[in-house]
Amino acid sequence: MPTDPARTDRTAPLFAELATTGNGTRRAELRETLLREYLDVAHNIARRYARRGEPLADLEQVATIGLLQALDRFDPERGTDFLSFAVPTITGEVRRHFRDHGWATRVPRRLKELHLALAAAMGELSQRLGRAPTARELAAHLSLSLDEVAEGLAAAQGYRSRSLDGMTDDEHSAAPESLGALGQLDPDLEQLEDREALSQLLAELPPRERTIIVLRFFGNQSQTQIATALGISQMHVSRLLSRTLATLRDKLDAAG
Amino acid sequence: MLRHRLEITLDADPFWLSPLRATVTDLAIRVDLDVDAVADLTLAVDEACALLIREARPDDRLAARFDITTDRVAITVSLAGRRRPGRTVATTSFAWRVLRTLADDVRLTVEDDDAPVTIELAKSRIRPGAY
Repeated sequence: MPTDPARTDRTAPLFAELATTGNGTRRAELRETLLREYLDVAHNIARRYARRGEPLADLEQVATIGLLQALDRFDPERGTDFLSFAVPTITGEVRRHFRDHGWATRVPRRLKELHLALAAAMGELSQRLGRAPTARELAAHLSLSLDEVAEGLAAAQGYRSRSLDGMTDDEHSAAPESLGALGQLDPDLEQLEDREALSQLLAELPPRERTIIVLRFFGNQSQTQIATALGISQMHVSRLLSRTLATLRDKLDAAG
Repeated sequence: MLRHRLEITLDADPFWLSPLRATVTDLAIRVDLDVDAVADLTLAVDEACALLIREARPDDRLAARFDITTDRVAITVSLAGRRRPGRTVATTSFAWRVLRTLADDVRLTVEDDDAPVTIELAKSRIRPGAY
């Protein structure tokens, strides 16, 4: 990333001021000015990731969010210059976008079709049986072998299957904010020794992930019930749940 | 009473949790647990092992044993080596609540610092005898 000494001189006093300015109009002005100064940096990073299947406009937007985070977290007192702090922050944000959207790891068509068939069969059988189906029941319903169903279910469990996310989502899925509000789990949470760190981490989770954790572990709902409530497939709930639990585990570990 | 046993020993290192998860998922599918129970069991084993790995010292090993009977799948994971001094599995933690939610039965055995720490999990099968 080319350095621009004139820009560094221009922005140094602004960063110093930003670091001591609380929320308010002045802070907004400073952020706006600094954002304009460094927007080309964010856009350059976004361009490096173009032509990988994600629209450039989306990447620029994600990179800009990364830039704003860098502006808010940068501490000029530490003596490093803004760019060496901002570039990894922005790059990290763009990479996370790819990871979460999963287009970087494409799933073969056959597996996608199997996934869609399984999701549909699970929905139908769950409703008919009043519980989640077994793999054998799915195989019988779809006229597939148990091995094929096992393969499809295993792929859906996989941590690399993010590109399956969203394939089976209901367009009109319930607003997750309306479900599993943090308030209703207070009595249960009280009993946990790590409740403070946990509440903090739950509050930081995206609404859907938080809802799933709350409904599963504080509402004792099954993955199939949660899937129905959220209008997504059980397999998607399962993936989100394993990912979120792993995140919570790492962060609780770091906190404890 | 139908009885099968599978035993796996692995290094107490998070790296080996992924193949273990894949094994648990496949096993649970094949003994005819429903898809919710398959997912629960996989998460539960993952969580239990992660708890034990946190207690482990370098070179410690984990043993996972799966007992399949007509009405349930019982899993025992244990850390054979001595624990790191002062570490305990807290049953008042979120992690323990996760385990209790995911499994139908959970038991922790910790005797003293030199004895293995063991977590036992069990998941009932919805249609006993179907497999």
